[in-house]
Amino acid sequence: MGQTKSINGQDLREMFAAATTWLEKSSADIDALNVFPVPDGDTGTNMLLTMRSTIEEAQQATDHSISGVSQAMAKGALVGARGNSGVILSQIFSGLSQSLADKESITGKELADALTRASTVAYAGLSNPVEGTILTVIREAAEAAKAHAATVSDDVVLVVEATVNAAKESVANTPTLLPVLMEAGVVDAGGQGLYTILEGALHYLKGEMEQLKLRRPWMVASSVPLTAKAPQMVGVEEVPYGYCTNFVIKGEGLNPDKLRKRLEKRGESVIVVGDDSVVRVHIHTLDPGDVVSYVVPLGTLHQISIRNMDEQHRDFIEMQKERMPAVEVAIVAVVVGEGLSNVFASLGATFIVPGGQTMNPSTKNLLQAVDLVASEKVIILPNNKNIVLTANQVQSLTQKTIEVVPTTTIPQGVAALLAFDYEADMETNAQNMNKAKAAVKSIEVTRAVRSTRLGGLDIKKKQAIGFLDGDLVAVGDKPDAVVQDVLTRVKLDEAEVITIYYGADTTSAEAEQIVAAINEQHSQLQVEVVQGGQPHYNYIVSVE
Amino acid sequence: MTVKIVTDSLGDIPSEVAEELGITVIPLNVLFGEGIYRDGVDLTTEQFYQKLIKSKVLPTTQIPSLGVFVQTYDELAEETQEILVIANSHKLSASYEAMVQAVGQMKRQCRVEVIDSQWVLMAQGLIVIAAARAAKSGASLDELMALTRKNIPRTDARMVLDTLNYLEEGGRIGKARAFLGSRLKVTPILGIRDGEAFPFAREHSRARAIDHLYDFATSFTHIDEMAVEHATTPDEAEMLAKRLKAKFPKTHIYRSMVSPVIGAHVGPRVLGVAVLGDRG
Repeated sequence: MGQTKSINGQDLREMFAAATTWLEKSSADIDALNVFPVPDGDTGTNMLLTMRSTIEEAQQATDHSISGVSQAMAKGALVGARGNSGVILSQIFSGLSQSLADKESITGKELADALTRASTVAYAGLSNPVEGTILTVIREAAEAAKAHAATVSDDVVLVVEATVNAAKESVANTPTLLPVLMEAGVVDAGGQGLYTILEGALHYLKGEMEQLKLRRPWMVASSVPLTAKAPQMVGVEEVPYGYCTNFVIKGEGLNPDKLRKRLEKRGESVIVVGDDSVVRVHIHTLDPGDVVSYVVPLGTLHQISIRNMDEQHRDFIEMQKERMPAVEVAIVAVVVGEGLSNVFASLGATFIVPGGQTMNPSTKNLLQAVDLVASEKVIILPNNKNIVLTANQVQSLTQKTIEVVPTTTIPQGVAALLAFDYEADMETNAQNMNKAKAAVKSIEVTRAVRSTRLGGLDIKKKQAIGFLDGDLVAVGDKPDAVVQDVLTRVKLDEAEVITIYYGADTTSAEAEQIVAAINEQHSQLQVEVVQGGQPHYNYIVSVE
Repeated sequence: MTVKIVTDSLGDIPSEVAEELGITVIPLNVLFGEGIYRDGVDLTTEQFYQKLIKSKVLPTTQIPSLGVFVQTYDELAEETQEILVIANSHKLSASYEAMVQAVGQMKRQCRVEVIDSQWVLMAQGLIVIAAARAAKSGASLDELMALTRKNIPRTDARMVLDTLNYLEEGGRIGKARAFLGSRLKVTPILGIRDGEAFPFAREHSRARAIDHLYDFATSFTHIDEMAVEHATTPDEAEMLAKRLKAKFPKTHIYRSMVSPVIGAHVGPRVLGVAVLGDRG
């Protein structure tokens, strides 16, 4: 790689033209990431359209200095900006042009300063800057550029490379800053878009034209694993998103800061950027008419765009569905305990109905769940002996086709769920799941609620009692000792995996002691400890 | 004149098989930190996985420059008038695109046809091997294209992965994203549908996941070609191949190693079975 001490106006135009081509290749993937502030799935498209307008203007610039080109780009970005990320992107170009004013060409250090300015201007356009978005990415990228230019090298390519690396890391980190991203298991779409633009510019500077042509941009993976959210029993009340309203005001003596404050009362995600003669407005509002009427006296309106975000959101949901395997069959599972619910949700249960030993759901509860899921075919996992009958009644009350896989314990339910095949039809799946459930041994340990004599065992109140596949087989004072007692009744030599779900009143340290004891005698076994959080049962253990 | 068969290194065709059947394999590149390695040429599969396990930086992969494809075609055109190029799935890499573009830039006159196999790994490899055999016994380019198109839907494969992390990190997760986020340690069994990774099953232990591969292979009633491949677990591959050989004593089972380019996306300890044949 040759040394590149400085770049001029033509370089600036060409590198962002390349960036636009690069962004175009992944704009659909970026659309699919979009969950914040409104999951309407258009971030990639909006950023691309903004970039196109930016480049068109740059190509018409008569002043070919970096100052002249950057002014043209800022103008093109401002008039062409679409959506939240597009408007913030236009602010970034505005900041760049401010810093590059009167310059013919720039060094790496000057570029780092310009990026820093771009970051400041981007933040200034918003009344409530949110971290974990494109803002964080431009800020951290600019910081890295500055640090690199100050301490390592003034070479433009190396500075941009440091910027791109920092941007990538920043994008991967967005879910830790913005909970809505964490829940969806995605990175911020606007941040990914900015990273892609910077990376495209870097490819150009490195002369990697073939890469630009034949490769595709990298989608940054979230630095935190996807945490599937347990489905809600009661549907969340639907809040309408309203209309995404965008326009440009041209006039005299405009005051963007004042206008922003006024508009904040009329909607959300308000961005107002520009100067005293041209102002771009982006706002999410339930009443776009009110917003437009308010600004009409200020000047002339241009590029008015009003889009129904609820409609966009529906399209987005459809698009997301296409990215997952088509699931014709939904699974409704009866589970209690946060940890266990998470396990079922993470393994693909469509709907969790809370319930278990002392909390049997009614037929109506199950029916509601069956009716709420989108699929016409539903498999129910009752996961308890007392709920199997209830589940069997659901079929007579619904038009949907129901298959009950009569799991009587949590381990059976997990085994059945693991056997679910995204490609198979409902019948095959029910068969596979029944087979899988039969292959697992379930151990449950709880405290006796009263003194009694059962199965030849004398039990005192509050003693720990252990069941193997529903039969009472052991009693003792300590739950962990009872688990081990029951384990001696299972052929562990033939087993491969033991999973221990410890309850709400049990510590992980105690559970780990059981693991140590098992490992001592059966080193071939894979033992996993999971916080089940279930009430009443100290331990639920599966042996496979 | 025999039709020449060209493919890329993602088909994992063992070099001795490629040599015997006259298959030209274009290596793809693996970028590991500063180094660029040609798949299977500069870096053996063993060396690659040792690096992969130790390295903190994940490798990335790229296709070679267009010139490499053009040159390969031009060189072959000195010996033949017809070339069949079989690419890996265009949804997983840009090979297909480059292979098609390269045809237009050839200097020599030669009929070149490019087919997207919609597969990678030995599933792609078996399709190529079947074409090369037919070419050797004198099939025309048109016949080979018809055969290959017929064989693509007759091919299927499954692989056991240790983790989905590499696939996710590399942006090739496809619909297998449905298996992400599991709170239990499960072993995913993936295949390919419509050219991208597809989640077929998951098992709670690796031993059972391998049983799943066996069940998959034995679900075929007629087998043209079969292959078992691995990355870092030769013993497991050996055991599985033996079990399958006992079930299908007349079938030759190709043994191969997952190429570094695919290895960078699926991670170590991948074990797979590919079959070209018919079910029921």
